[in-house]
Amino acid sequence: MEGFLIFAISILTLAFVYVILCLALNIECGVAGMWDLGIVSYFGVGAYSYAIIVAPEAASYQHYLFGLESNPIYGIVLAIILGGVSAYLIGLPSLRLRREYFLITTIAFSEVLRITFSNENWLTNGVAGIYNIEQPLKSYFSPDNYIVLLFVIFLCFSVIVYKMVNKLSFSTYGLSLKALRENEALAKTARIEPSKQYHSVYVFTGCLAGFSGALYVWLNTLIVPTQFTPNVTFFVWTALIIGGIGNNRGAFLGAIFFVILLETLSFLNLSAELALVVSSLRIALVGLALILILRYLPNGLLREKPTVL
Amino acid sequence: MLTVTNVDKFYGGVKAVENVSLEVNKGKIIGLIGTNGAGKTTLFNVISGFDKLDRGSVNFDGQEISNLLPSKIANLGMIRTFQTATGFPRLTVLENLLVFSENNNFEFYKNFLNKNEQNKEQIEKAENLLKKFGLFEKKNQWVVDLSAPELKILEFARAIMGNPQIMLLDEPAAGVNPALLEQLMEIIQELNGEGITFLIVDHNLRFICDISDFIYVMNDGKLIAQGKPDEIVNNELVIETYIGK
Amino acid sequence: MDIFIYGLVTGSILLICALGFSMTLKTEGFINVAHGQMLMLGAYFTLGLTYIGLPFLIAAFLSVLLCGVTGLAFQRILFKPIKSNGILVQLFTSVGLAYLINGLVGAIAGKRMLSFDIPISRVVKVGDVYLVTPYEFMILGIVLATVIFLHIFLQYTIMGKHIRAVADNQDLAKIRGINPDRCSDLVWFIASSLAGLGGIFLGILGAVHLNMGWQQIVMILSVTVLGGLGSIYGVMLAGLLLGFAMEFGLLFVSSNYRTAIAFGVIILVLVIRPEGLQSLWQSKGRET
Ligand SMILES: Nc1ncnc2c1ncn2[C@@H]1O[C@H](COP(=O)(O)OP(=O)(O)OP(=O)(O)O)[C@@H](O)[C@H]1O
Ligand SMILES: [Mg+2]
Repeated sequence: MEGFLIFAISILTLAFVYVILCLALNIECGVAGMWDLGIVSYFGVGAYSYAIIVAPEAASYQHYLFGLESNPIYGIVLAIILGGVSAYLIGLPSLRLRREYFLITTIAFSEVLRITFSNENWLTNGVAGIYNIEQPLKSYFSPDNYIVLLFVIFLCFSVIVYKMVNKLSFSTYGLSLKALRENEALAKTARIEPSKQYHSVYVFTGCLAGFSGALYVWLNTLIVPTQFTPNVTFFVWTALIIGGIGNNRGAFLGAIFFVILLETLSFLNLSAELALVVSSLRIALVGLALILILRYLPNGLLREKPTVL
Repeated sequence: MLTVTNVDKFYGGVKAVENVSLEVNKGKIIGLIGTNGAGKTTLFNVISGFDKLDRGSVNFDGQEISNLLPSKIANLGMIRTFQTATGFPRLTVLENLLVFSENNNFEFYKNFLNKNEQNKEQIEKAENLLKKFGLFEKKNQWVVDLSAPELKILEFARAIMGNPQIMLLDEPAAGVNPALLEQLMEIIQELNGEGITFLIVDHNLRFICDISDFIYVMNDGKLIAQGKPDEIVNNELVIETYIGK
Repeated sequence: MDIFIYGLVTGSILLICALGFSMTLKTEGFINVAHGQMLMLGAYFTLGLTYIGLPFLIAAFLSVLLCGVTGLAFQRILFKPIKSNGILVQLFTSVGLAYLINGLVGAIAGKRMLSFDIPISRVVKVGDVYLVTPYEFMILGIVLATVIFLHIFLQYTIMGKHIRAVADNQDLAKIRGINPDRCSDLVWFIASSLAGLGGIFLGILGAVHLNMGWQQIVMILSVTVLGGLGSIYGVMLAGLLLGFAMEFGLLFVSSNYRTAIAFGVIILVLVIRPEGLQSLWQSKGRET
């Protein structure tokens, strides 16, 4: 296949991982109005869950738990479950807080988790990470075909998640979340119990983020703790703000737009030295794009619109 | 139907509500007046579960409610309004009503598993309410775009949508022009005719006296007088606190 | 004893880094994520100026000013025009700015860890106790002077009073004839200079690298929230407290968990006292 096409397809495949993360963030923060800066926590938990289940047994120079080399399906299921469980647990203390206080607690938790990932060698092989995690179904396809297959699978996943999140946003449940976002006190008088709604949406977000974490490892075949810095959180937020917070289509589009923006320059065939410069420049480019979009389209590419019933 | 007994609520050293007892009988309209900072809103907060009381009890329909969550109390059929009415700004007018539909199921898993759409009946009910209050044309607009009087009206429509047994209104007449006030009074009386009980806080003495069956007067956190409207306007203590200073 | 001193040093640097951040938070009302990058900028400016031959102290001093001017320019060009669009837009503009600065510096200076070209200094030993290095001693002195200066400026000068008025209530301040734009300019200048100063301190004691801004901003956010959002004295207390907490915590866990301790403390404090440390000396504000 032609080089560029392969490149484009693999970028989009990566984008779909972000799409799922971005949709998860949207229902939590766009729809329910929470100020979560810790979404990378569940992304990381999901990714590690998948990794230690699917990776082969640790070699003599490595340490990590399990290494069952089990069916990736189990890995994905486990990622979703543990993503949700960790969100549930972190939610217990932090959901009592709001706005800035919630924001800081969630980001603090995400850092504690990352530091744990990099130091608990018995669990995660520490900063060295885990490599060569085999990709499901890989042996049945030629490399080129496998790239296309991944694209199709990830596309399906992200469309399914989109449908799910979208349905939920416009259900009575979604209405209760928006009511809480808009006026929590008044929402209580409408028989809505904030802690229950917040906790459930938080766990749901955790599950989705865990899921996308698993896909991320599937795609990359490796995992290291530095993949889970607050940078991921800011990236996803940026994608959501660019796309249009509160709008699921915006979240979908924003994630794709963002990844394309970030990755396109990496297609250029450059000398190692120049490549380093370019890799910095594309961060600057993302920043510039974010500034300009907020300046001229403060509500993002697709803004939230009134729901017509 | 609503009995408040010896309620205290202190904020640090501020005795916002002190030893207040009052009784709201079914089907009545009860007024509650008092100067700024008298503790009226605080009393509302305590009754509706937004604030925990420090002492005393609140009984609603034979049930002690002082330790229930606001959402639970709302579920028992008590709906309150807030002094500053903003509604849900970025929900449509129609959605603002639908949030209050009686048979809403907000459970995550119910909504996740089956398509829990707003049922037709409730939408129809909401639309009829909007037609009645002249807001039907704007049903698909965000509430941020409404004018202040429209917001006031919507406040009532929303409360009615919840099918309450009792409504606690915090300063419904504040910032309302005479024509609109007339309309609000009609609405209140009509709802009262349908059996809804009211507890109303306001500074507009005329309005309260016109509409209430019985009035309580608060000052500095304490209840200083109670009686029929004509008794209240002639009560020396009340005249003193309102005009005397 | 040395734990106390290390805590003091760590805490004072945190404090300087967080002070400016909390000033912008208080007067502008939003979380300025780019503040972390201003720290980094201070360190890299100094590197750049020493690279072209200036002595370290002069380079550091100029960098602080340069940071202030850069911050002022950002306020004028980027933040002032979008002030009316709400805090979320401002916050994410600052995220964009953070990326922009980080990317540009990375492209120019590269991704390697760098350090200032200053002689390695020995710990001063008095009797049996190890005291600080001269650098640390100097840093403590500068921090103390800065804090006192800032206190005097905010409490006793007209401009300082204006800034506090704007921070308390923008509309009221306008009615009283205070020009909020001028206050904003000044706050941005001071905040960014402080950031530059903090960055240089970090560079002296550690290394200068591209991630320092991102690492610090999380810490800064924590200190600020712990100190009770925008309360300058709360921030000072919180900075020192976290500094001590981190150094004391090292008695119990490995040094890799140093920052994790800080975050643990923050989570704990917020869960117990949701309003942050400020609530210790201020009664809760009114709701609804
Ligand atoms: N959350 C709070 N924290 C501290 N003090 C409070 C709080 N809420 C109310 N207060 C104090 O309690 C007292 C009663 O306030 P409240 O709002 O109940 O008065 P009000 O009768 O509703 O007045 P208004 O007519 O102005 O609405 C006031 O002195 C007020 O300052
Ligand atoms: Mg009141």
